[in-house]
Amino acid sequence: MEAISLKAQELFTIGGFPFTNGFFMTLVVSALLIVFSFVMREKISLIPGKLQGALEMGMEWLLDVMHATLGSVQAAEKYFPLIATIFIFILCSNVLGIFPGVGSIHLGETPLFRSPAADLNFTLAFAIISVVMTNILGAFAVGILPHISKFINFKNPIKFFIGILEMVSELAKIISLSFRLFGNVFAGEVLLTIVAFLAPYFIPLPFLFLELFVGLIQAFLFAMLTLVSISLHTAVHEH
Amino acid sequence: MEGLLGQLGIDWKLLLSQVFNFAILLLVLRQFVYKPLLAVIKKRNAIIKEGLDKAAEADVRLHEVDSIAKGKLQKADNAALAMIKETENRAKTLEASLKLKAEQRQAELMAQITAAGERQKEEARQNVLKGASELIKKFIVKTVELKPELIDEALIEKAADFVKHEI
Repeated sequence: MEAISLKAQELFTIGGFPFTNGFFMTLVVSALLIVFSFVMREKISLIPGKLQGALEMGMEWLLDVMHATLGSVQAAEKYFPLIATIFIFILCSNVLGIFPGVGSIHLGETPLFRSPAADLNFTLAFAIISVVMTNILGAFAVGILPHISKFINFKNPIKFFIGILEMVSELAKIISLSFRLFGNVFAGEVLLTIVAFLAPYFIPLPFLFLELFVGLIQAFLFAMLTLVSISLHTAVHEH
Repeated sequence: MEGLLGQLGIDWKLLLSQVFNFAILLLVLRQFVYKPLLAVIKKRNAIIKEGLDKAAEADVRLHEVDSIAKGKLQKADNAALAMIKETENRAKTLEASLKLKAEQRQAELMAQITAAGERQKEEARQNVLKGASELIKKFIVKTVELKPELIDEALIEKAADFVKHEI
């Protein structure tokens, strides 16, 4: 049984930049998505094909969910790119992460591919993007000073302490978001490796389905938590 | 802290490149997938809405045209009825006037016939009268032939008067 590494392994280093297998996989996923979007761009027409129909269905479903959460169609369309990209990117990463070859094709001693979300850099980056973007969008929506006053407020002691709690909760959000995704996907990787080591044929199949499902759920969860955070920060409070 | 982050494999350069990567992906997807797809969906919805609106409008128009046609038919019906009525009235008046004329003519003819009858009667009477006076004259002449001097005009006159009354 091969050693399970908690962190993504370095493939090589370019000028002090550690090019890890997790990062390589991220680039592969991004490249696939970018190529897909270029292909899609040519295909989009008023009368949809099967692919476009499926995409539109997914898009309208997500827009409906966002509309229900944010309360307006305009807001849903405004924040759609961020939520959708988070969802699609994480979903594709997780799905591609359980493809055969990931973890088994080696470049020298280290595996060439590693599920991106099994690398804390990836999940932490997403968590930071999520939290920073929700705060920026919140500041745009309610104004910079009112937004800052959610965290730093000297009007009365209660609000001051609530502000501190808010700050802590934003930091906690980064940690919880990143570690939730990382933990789930990494655990899945470990599980699949162990199962595949114990019983290489047929037995891993249900676990693969399970990981597919977990990957979908985690991607959805990440997107939804970001969405809820946006809806909390962009809501105008009246006093 | 450094050690913990290192153990977890966290590297700020990798973090930054992940963020950068995400930003690029976000822009590309937004530009080439979300926006065109959303535009297409909206356009299609607009077209569908337009089609439905037009259908509804066509329905309304159809009803309007229907009611207009019905109204026109009703009008034509009424006009025809009025025409028939008028014709009937005219026929009635014409009939009445003709009847009146015929009656007048009949009366005229009757009067003429009566007058002619009267005239003939009168003529016949005159003729009879004339004949009678001649006859009486002859008779008297016959009777008086024996004594012509006895012929009295006054007597003849008296006889004639008698005959006149007798007829």
